[in-house]
Formats: sequence, C-alpha cells, structure tokens
Amino acid sequence: MKKRGRGIGVSFYGTGYGNGFPDVSKAKVVLHDEGKVGIYVGGTEVGQGAKTALLQIGAETLSISLEQILFISEDTSLMPDSGTAAASRQTYNTGNAVKKACENFKDRLIDIAKEELELNSTHGLKVEKGEIYLEFFPDKRISFKELVDKYGDGTIQGEGEFIAQTVEMDPETGQGAPYWPYTFNACGVELEVDTLTGQVEILDAVFAQDAGKAINPHLVEGQMDGGFAMALGYALFEDLKLDKGRIKSNKFSRYLIPTAMDMIDVKNIIVEDPESTAPYGAKGIGEPVMIPIAPAILNAIYDATGVRIKELPVTPEKLRKALDEANGGGGSD
Amino acid sequence: MKFDIVGKNIIRTDAYSKVTGKALYPQDIYMDNMVYGKTLRSKLPHAYIDIDTSEAEKIEGVIKIFTYKDVPNNSHGVVFKDHEVFCEKKVRRIGDPIAFVVGETEEVCKLALDKIKVDYKELEGVFDPEIAMDENSPKVHGDSNIVYHFKIRKGDIEEGFKNSYVIAENTYKTHMVEHAFLQPEAGVSLIDEEGRVTVMVATQYPHYDREEVASALNIKEEEVRIVNTNIGGAFGGREDISLQIHLALAAYTLKRPVKVVYSREESFIAHAKRHPMIMKCKTGADKDGKLLAMEAEIIGDTGAYASWAPNVLRKAGVHITGPYYIPNVVVDSYAVYTNNPFAGAMRGFGATQVPIAHEQQMDILAEKLGMDPISIRMINIFKQGSVTATGQVLTESVPVEACIKEVVKRMDLFGEEGHNEETW
Repeated sequence: MKKRGRGIGVSFYGTGYGNGFPDVSKAKVVLHDEGKVGIYVGGTEVGQGAKTALLQIGAETLSISLEQILFISEDTSLMPDSGTAAASRQTYNTGNAVKKACENFKDRLIDIAKEELELNSTHGLKVEKGEIYLEFFPDKRISFKELVDKYGDGTIQGEGEFIAQTVEMDPETGQGAPYWPYTFNACGVELEVDTLTGQVEILDAVFAQDAGKAINPHLVEGQMDGGFAMALGYALFEDLKLDKGRIKSNKFSRYLIPTAMDMIDVKNIIVEDPESTAPYGAKGIGEPVMIPIAPAILNAIYDATGVRIKELPVTPEKLRKALDEANGGGGSD
Repeated sequence: MKFDIVGKNIIRTDAYSKVTGKALYPQDIYMDNMVYGKTLRSKLPHAYIDIDTSEAEKIEGVIKIFTYKDVPNNSHGVVFKDHEVFCEKKVRRIGDPIAFVVGETEEVCKLALDKIKVDYKELEGVFDPEIAMDENSPKVHGDSNIVYHFKIRKGDIEEGFKNSYVIAENTYKTHMVEHAFLQPEAGVSLIDEEGRVTVMVATQYPHYDREEVASALNIKEEEVRIVNTNIGGAFGGREDISLQIHLALAAYTLKRPVKVVYSREESFIAHAKRHPMIMKCKTGADKDGKLLAMEAEIIGDTGAYASWAPNVLRKAGVHITGPYYIPNVVVDSYAVYTNNPFAGAMRGFGATQVPIAHEQQMDILAEKLGMDPISIRMINIFKQGSVTATGQVLTESVPVEACIKEVVKRMDLFGEEGHNEETW
C-alpha cells in the first residue's frame, strides 16, 4: 500500500568561523599590462561558484567587464590569505574583502588620474569601463591602459581586508554573539511511502532559501539542488555501516548516494532581504541549502504513516520494521 | 539599487573547462623523473605498534620508506595538534597513517606495503560515545575522552517546564556519513624553480596547508608553496591534512617530483566524516503553542581525532533551538573521542544534525496541541529584533517568515486543515 504525506523543515544557520575567532579575508587588486586588472584572493573554488561570485563582485565594484579581469586564486606564492572555503563564508567575508580592495584600487587610480589630468582635486572623477574621467567634463579622461603604459605592470595596487564581527560566548552561560550573519530557509516535501517495501519516493518539493541578495541566481539554485540531493542521501540512503571502527560500506557499490533517478525537480525560490554588512547584501548559502530537507522528509514520513523515525538513515529495512512494530508486529498493511 | 553584474546569471568561469574535460586535477599531472607514493595504514582501531621496514626496503624500485622518524614535527590538526603525520607508538583508528612508501612505480609501492611488518599489540577500543564518556572506559588520547563541553544557560528552565501545557521529550540519533566528493584525494609535490617545496593538491584552504607543511618540515612558510588545482568537490572533507605533508616530506627529502593518488576505498578512510550525534531534547509549550523551555543534551562522536569537534559541537549547541524564540534554554553539548573514523567538517557543520531533533519536536508539540505544523512555527519564528538563546539580537535580514510563507503558498501545505491566519 502506498501512503502519501507532506512535511516541512525550517532552519537557521550562522555563517563564518564565529565565536570571536578572528575571521579575516584579504584581497589584492593590481593593474596589469593592456589595462587588465588582476584580482588576487585566496578564495578557493571547490565547485560552489566562489570564483564566479567573487569575480562578479569585483567587476561590479570596478565597473568593468568580466573579460578585463584576471582572477588569481590558486597559488599561495601569489595571493593573500582569504581564509578557508568553508563555513559558508567566501561570498560574505571574502566578497567584502574583494569589494574593499577594488574600492581602494579605484581611489588609488583617481589619485593618480588627478595628477595625470592636471586637476586641482579628485572631486567628480569617476572610474568606469576601464577609464577614469571627469563626469562634468568628460574630455578629461585617461584609460587603465595609458596608466599602466606609463607606470608599469604591477605598480598600481589596492588592498582590502575584511574582519567579521562576532563575540565569544561565555563558557558557563553560552551568552554571546557567536555568528554573523545568519541565513534562513524552509523546505516542504511531499512523498509516498510504500508500506510493503519501506521505500520512500519524493514526489514534490518547494524550497525557499534566504540569500540576502543573490550575486548569481543560477549558482544559488545549483547549490539548492545539490544541497537537496545531499540531504536526500543523508536522510534515506547513506550508511557507512560502521562495525567496531571499521567502515564496511567503503565504495559506491555499497555506500549509496542519490542518483539522477532519485532526484526530483525541486521548486527553488530565492528570498532576498539584503544584509547591510554584506557585499551588495549577499550572505552565504553553501551549507544552509542542505539543512531543512532531512527534517522535512522525516515529518512527511510521519504525516504519511503515523510512524515517527528518530534515527537516521531511514532505510527501507528500518522503515518497514518501524511500520511493522506500529502495527503490532503483524503484516505491513 | 541597480546593478550591472551582481544579480546576473553569468555562466560560471570554470564551466567550460570542466564540461570539456580540460580542467586539470592532481590526478592529471605528470612530470619528468616523477616517482610515486603509497600510504601504509592501520588495520586495527586501537593498538600499540612496532614497525619494521627492512624487508620492504630491499625491494627493487623502492626509493625510501618514510615513518615518524623522518618527520621533524610529527603532529598536526586544525584545532588541536592531535594527529600524527605517521603514528609512532599507537594507532587510534582503522586507517591511521603509519608509513609512506616512495618507489619508481605504483606497483613497487604496493609490493612494499605488503612487506612492511607491523607488530600490533591490540588495545581495548571504545566505539560508543556514551560509553566513552565514562571515566573507566579506554582512553583514546590522554586522561579523558571528553574533548569539549559547550553550555547554554538562559532563563529559568524549571519555571519554563512548570508553566508548559505540553512537553515533548525524545532522543534522536544521526549517523556518520561520508562527503562522497567526486575526486578522491591526489597530489603532486616537487621543488620549484625557486627552491620552494611545492604541493599541487585539491584543498579547501591552501594557506592552512602551507602552515602545516612548513611546521611539519620545520621550515619557513615562504619556503612552501601550495598550488590549488581544480577541485572535484569538498563539502568539508578537504579541510584536514590528508596527503599534503607526506608529499612535501618526500619531495623535500628526495628532490624528485612525487605523486599520490588515493583509490575510492582509501579516500573513504583517509578523510573526516560527519559527526554522528545523540540528541536528547525536552521542549515545552503553552496552550497556544508558544515555546517556553528547551533542555537539550548533544553527544557528538568525533572518533579518533578532534579535527573541528569543538566548533562543530558548539555550532550544534547554538542551533538546536531552531529558528525559534525560546525564553528558557539549557544546552549541554559534548564532543567525545572514540576509536571510530574521525569526524570533522561536513556541510552544515553540526547545524545539519540538530534540525532532525528540533523540527520533529515542533511537529510533535503541534500534534499534542491539535495545531498544524505551520501555525506552531509561525508563533515562535525569529523575526527582526528577535533574541537567540545566546542573547544575540537579530537586527536585520531575518526573512524566515517569508521563506515559510513561500513554501506554504506554493504547496498549499496543510491547507486542508486550515491555518489560523491571525497567528501569521
């Protein structure tokens, strides 16, 4: 017999190292030959899209095209330390560092342009599309290329550093401000339980994720799909089968993760409520996107069957056993 | 505010190289004069060891077998330096690295691994974190298996439960899982043209790797260079050191490029796992569904090494209330050593486990009160200006109500039971 149920999961997540530990990101911006701009930052691309999001923040701040930027984030001998690609902190923390470095770089360009254009002041000078110009008399202008030709590759630079604000919690009471900012979400799922086999099939899901401001909506949606799939595996399939410290399921023929056959077309909704301390309002979402799904599945299984599973994973064997017990040890129906 | 590039669906910069197979991963790197490395790992979860590499060293093609004797500083770790580069006296889990064979080919290295003699004197192990907390149980490190204890004490919990109309009290358990990233660990090390020990590896934090490599080799950080290749997923599983120090030590000693590629099976035992947690939760609410008190005990099994355990169990403790205002809260969150595989960072970092408890508690309370799951959440949900259990004021960007409303609207969730619209 197949039984349908629906459930919701809601969560909050504090991003960053937290608890008063210095959470520092650094970035450097350098003017290169041909007027190209190098952004040097230790923000690792693990597949989450950091390189693209940080590039977009840099291009927005510098008002130049993406093609004019060289993005260097691979070599410790070239780039400053921007902290770990973890704690959902790269967009917020390193994004802020990139934005600051770009702003400082622009200020430096404006200072130099004032001299080159023989102006009395920096007022009214604007940086846009690879040029510095006087807004109310645009004939007064000089390009990045002209500047680098005169000053030399690598000599004009700007640096930026961002340190997140958290307060260490009291060791006895836990009172403090352990994380900032927090990211929120909610997920609803509809599923079907086969009471004969104990198998769970997800039928529908609506997932609303707060992003502050989405720097790149498709990348946010990609993370939401990935988080959903990972949580699906956590809730229903994945089991290392530990036995006295030994991992018995140590390969993918035994350790089952979701495949495309298990995934559904999740209805992803990005909720925007910009955070004032964030770069263009953007908060981290890399981890939050996995959090509300498993509890929503558990609540939906209860809604479908009246059986509450308090121990993960909800494998068919476990669910079938729980259903049998709920029915007084008899058959499944 | 209007933006030119922020908010636009720019195609990711690494998309083209990845979908065409041009992206370079450490597995793809070949260098002239390159040799290979393989790691000998513990077969037992808790034992004293004695190693004899003499037979293995005689195999033709074996260049050197590294053990603890070859490492200037044999300890590393993200919070506590409780990992050994190679175990000296004791192994604490299955998979602990004991030796690193470098040879002309991978096949030679495999032969040598079989010829290294490890004399194990097995010790009683501890695999259940609740048992491990008992002071009479076997110790994994030092005098106690309790690595960390986090506390929240807010308000008057007795009073909160006394005034509660309904109370839900349950124990929830989550299990240990694997990151299952696509690309198993691999790396190539060499001495670069400026004389720096260079490790090409897929890592979440290259500057941290540089610090640990320099520390283990007892050289300056400027003498170490980490080059991040493309990374085939991470999810927290590439935060601890895996093969970086082994590789750097070998290249630094032998002055030849060295390559290591882990199999999927080795990857499973080499890196951290998600902390399994036992969560005992007691939650009370008044007749209207307003939460009055929560008491929670969380026990997290960090296995043989601490890795990020204090930070993970702290995050679990802070987040176990869920995104709800609760005036009276007591939380005790413990990280405990066992002889299980070690647990560390994994997507959500302790905050992924706790909603298994708090979100089921909410539904259980709602049912006891004859309420629907949405209404009970809306009554208690964080809003701008709400204060968390740690006393933090959520001053801005708190759109969790909006998230719930979007889900309810699109799914018509629990619509048939009818919400009390006035509550939200």
